[in-house]
Amino acid sequence: MDNDKLAYERLIALGKKMAQEVVEGKGPTFETIVRSKSNILFDEKGFLRLGEKRETRKFLNVGQAKTFMQTVSIANKLKQFIEQNLHTSIRGLYYQLKFSLGEDLDESLFEEQSESNALIEDLEVALGVKREDFHLTTDRKGVLAGPIKIRDSFGGEDIIIDGTKQGRSGWMIPSDVDNGMEIIEVDANYVLVVEKDALWQRLNEDRFWQKEKAILITPKGQASRGTRRLLRKLADMGLPIIVFTDCDAWGWYIYWTMKTGSMNLAYLGRDFSVPEAKFVGVTMSDIERYNFLKKLTIKAKEVDLKRAREMKEYPWIKRHVEWVKELDLVLKTKKKLEQDALQGPRLTFVGDYLREKIRNEEFLP
Amino acid sequence: MAEMFDSFKEHSIAEFFKKNRHMLGFSGKVRSLTTVIHEYVTNSLDACEEAGILPYIKVEIHSMGDKYKVVVQDNGPGIPRELIGKALGQMLAGTKFHRYMQQRGQQGIGAAGCTMFSLLTTGKPIHVISAHNGTAVSCDVSIDFKTNKPVVKNIVERPATFHGLIIEGFFGDVKFDKGQYGPLEYIKRTAIANPHATIELITPDGEKYLFKRSIDRVPQKPKEVKPHPLGIGPHDLIEFAKASNAKKLSSFLINDFSRVTQKKVNELKELLPDIDFNKDPKALSWQEAERIVKAIHKIKWIAPQTDAVIPIGKEQIEKSLNNVLKPQFVTVVERQPRIYRGGIPFVVEVGIAYGLTDESFPFKGSVMRFANRAPLLFDAAGCAITQAVKSIDWKRYNIQNFDEEPIAVFVNLSSVHVPYVSAGKQAIANEEEIVKEIKNGIMEAARTIKTFIRKRYKAKEIEKKRKALLRYVNRLSEDLAALSGFSQEELKQKLMQLVEERYKLGGG
Repeated sequence: MDNDKLAYERLIALGKKMAQEVVEGKGPTFETIVRSKSNILFDEKGFLRLGEKRETRKFLNVGQAKTFMQTVSIANKLKQFIEQNLHTSIRGLYYQLKFSLGEDLDESLFEEQSESNALIEDLEVALGVKREDFHLTTDRKGVLAGPIKIRDSFGGEDIIIDGTKQGRSGWMIPSDVDNGMEIIEVDANYVLVVEKDALWQRLNEDRFWQKEKAILITPKGQASRGTRRLLRKLADMGLPIIVFTDCDAWGWYIYWTMKTGSMNLAYLGRDFSVPEAKFVGVTMSDIERYNFLKKLTIKAKEVDLKRAREMKEYPWIKRHVEWVKELDLVLKTKKKLEQDALQGPRLTFVGDYLREKIRNEEFLP
Repeated sequence: MAEMFDSFKEHSIAEFFKKNRHMLGFSGKVRSLTTVIHEYVTNSLDACEEAGILPYIKVEIHSMGDKYKVVVQDNGPGIPRELIGKALGQMLAGTKFHRYMQQRGQQGIGAAGCTMFSLLTTGKPIHVISAHNGTAVSCDVSIDFKTNKPVVKNIVERPATFHGLIIEGFFGDVKFDKGQYGPLEYIKRTAIANPHATIELITPDGEKYLFKRSIDRVPQKPKEVKPHPLGIGPHDLIEFAKASNAKKLSSFLINDFSRVTQKKVNELKELLPDIDFNKDPKALSWQEAERIVKAIHKIKWIAPQTDAVIPIGKEQIEKSLNNVLKPQFVTVVERQPRIYRGGIPFVVEVGIAYGLTDESFPFKGSVMRFANRAPLLFDAAGCAITQAVKSIDWKRYNIQNFDEEPIAVFVNLSSVHVPYVSAGKQAIANEEEIVKEIKNGIMEAARTIKTFIRKRYKAKEIEKKRKALLRYVNRLSEDLAALSGFSQEELKQKLMQLVEERYKLGGG
C-alpha cells in the first residue's frame, strides 16, 4: 500500500475520533507530540527525534479554538487532495484555505502562511505521516546520476528513469520519492554525496559514477526533504552513504544534518536521516597530507568559528574524538578549505582524491 | 454673611442687594434663571415637608421675546394672607433665619431676591395665588427698596377647595439652557435628592419632563434643635442674643443652647471673672462675645445630639438614582453622623451611578453636589465635595479616567448648618472634617463600584470568548463532517450547545 493511503485512513480516523467526542457531548480534542526543544532527544540509533511529551488542544479553550478549527480545515483539505490524487505545495494549500470565515465576519481562516505551516507539521507528527504522503510537494534541489533505475508513475503513465542516461544535467530528485515511485534496479557499490553542484558536474564529466559504480548525488547545499528521504531509502537497500563537503563548519554541518537530522526537523526522525553515513572529506588533516592544499586555504570567518564552537557542544558530535580534533583545528588555525581546491594540481585530481580515500576507507564517522 | 448687613445698617438690605445681586446667584443669564427656579422649588419642597404633604411641583418656563415668564405651582399648604408680603417681598424675613434646624433654604433671602430680580429686570411685580386654609388670595408683590418693606397690591380673595401656591414672575437678563447649569439639570438633580417629590418641567420649547416620585413617604420632619456651644462663633452669639427673650446672659446661654447647664455657666464665669453674666444679653459686645467663644472651647462639653440631622436614606437615593439616571449600576453609602467645628452635626451620603447612557444623562465624570437635598450647580471649584472627589485616586477603583467615564458621583451633605462659601449657597466650605468624611464616603462607595466594574469586565470577557467560539463553530462542523462522515447539522448543534454551556451568559 502506498503511504498516501495510510495517511488518508489516519485523517479520517482523526475526524471520526473528534466527531465522536462532539456527539458524546465532550469538547473535541487534538493530541499531538510537543515539538519544542525540551522534547527533542538524540536516539541511540543515531538520529534526532521527538520524545514522548504530548499536548492536547481543545476547541473549547478560547486560546486554542482558532488553531483547532484551522487544523481540522487543513486535515479536510489534505483528505481531498489524496482523494483527487492531486498535489500542491504548502503555499498552494494556504491559498486553498485563505478565505473569509463568513460574509459578516472580518476574519479569514488564515491570515499568514506561517500559521498553516506549523499546523501541517502538527498533523505530520500527530498522525505519524509525512507531508509528502499528504500530497504536499516541497522544493526540489538534489541531482542524481549513476547506475540506478527508477519507475515513476506520474500523470497516469509509467516511465523508467535510468540514472546512467541523464547527460550533463542529471536527474532531479523529486520532492516525494515514496508515492508513485519505485527503485527497480541498483547496480552500485556506494552513494557519493557531493555538497557542491560544481564538483558534481566535474565528477559527472569524468564519469566518476561509471568508473566507481557509484550513485553520484549533489544536494546543492543543505539537502532537501526529497534528497534526504532518497538517501534513507538507498541506505536501507544496503548502500554505503559517503559524504564529501567543504572543509569548514558549514560544510560539515550539512553532513551532520543529513546523518542525524536537525533540531528544527527532529519531528521527521529516522525517515529523513542516515546515521550510517560516513564522511570522506575534506578534513583539516588533508591539508597536512596534501602539501599543495596548504597554499589554498582561506581565512575562516567569525561565523565559521561560531558554528564550529556550537558543533563541538552537540552531544552526538562531541562523542567522536576525530570530529573534536577537526573542529579544534579549525578554531586553532582559523582556516578553512573549499572542496573546489582539490582541482588545484589538475582538474581530475578530485576523482583521484576520492577514489584513494574511499578505497582505503579513510572516513570520519 | 450677616455681618455684612451690620455695616450697611443705614441702607436697607434690599438696597444693598440691588447693588450686589451676584451674591444671591443672579449673575450670568443661565445661572440667574436657574437661581429663580431654585429659590421657588426649594421653598415649595420645604413647605410641603413641614406640612407633611407629598410634593407635586410644576415648573413652566415661557419665552416672551427677550424675557421669560416663570410659573411655579405646588400643592403645599400655601401662605396665610398676612405673611405673603413678608415671605416674598422682604429680605431676611423668612421663617428660617432664626431657627436652628435642617432645611434647604437657610437665610430667607431667596424668594424676596427673585422679586427684587424681577423688579430690576422687567419692572414687574410677582403675581401670587396662595390657597391656604380654604381661602385663595391672589395679589401682586413688589419691594420698596428704600425701606425693605413689601408692597402688596391688587388683592383678591375667594374661597378655595384646594391648597397650594402659584407664583408667576417675569424675568429679564436670563436665558434658558439645557446644559449642566440650566433649569432642566437643576430639576433633574432636585428629583434625585427628593425621591418623594414629583416634579414637572415645561421648557420654553414646549418639551415636558416629568420626574415621578419613587417613594410615597414624606421625609421625617427635622427636629428643631438648639445650637451646641462648640458650633457657634461670636457673630452667631450676638445674633442669637438679639433674638432671645432671656433677661440675663447666663439664662440666655442655658435656655438658647444645648448642653449648657448652670454648672457650665459657672465654669465660664471662672474663666471670665470680669464679664457680668447678669447683664442683658442684647447688650453683649463683639469683644465679649469673642472672649466667651474662646472660653467655650476651653471647657469640656457633652457632644451635641445628632438626631436633628435627617439624611435622605440609602434606599431612597438608590431608587431615585435608578429612576432618574437609569444607570447600569448604583451603589449608595450612608455615613454615620459626625461633628464639624466641634459642635455642628452633619451626615454625608454618597451615591455612585455607573454606566450612564447619553439619553438619561449625557455628562461624563459628573459630580452631583447637594446640601440638605438642594442641588448645588455652581461654584463647583471651591466646594468641599468637588475637592473630595478630585482627591480620590480613581484608578484604584478601576476608573481609568474619571472625567471621560459614564459615571456620576452623588454627594448630599445634611446638617442643621451647612457652611456655604457665599450667600449664593452654591458651594460648601472646605471644613476639614467635612472633606475627610465625604472622601471616606466616596471611597466606600467606590469599592463596590470597583467590584461591579471587575465583574462586568469579566462578564464581557466571557461574552467575547463565547462569541469567538460560536464564530468558529460553522466552519469546524463543516470540515469535521466532511472529514468524519458525521452529520454536519448534528455536529453544529452539539458544538453550539457545548460552547453555550461552557461560556454561560453572566456565569463564570
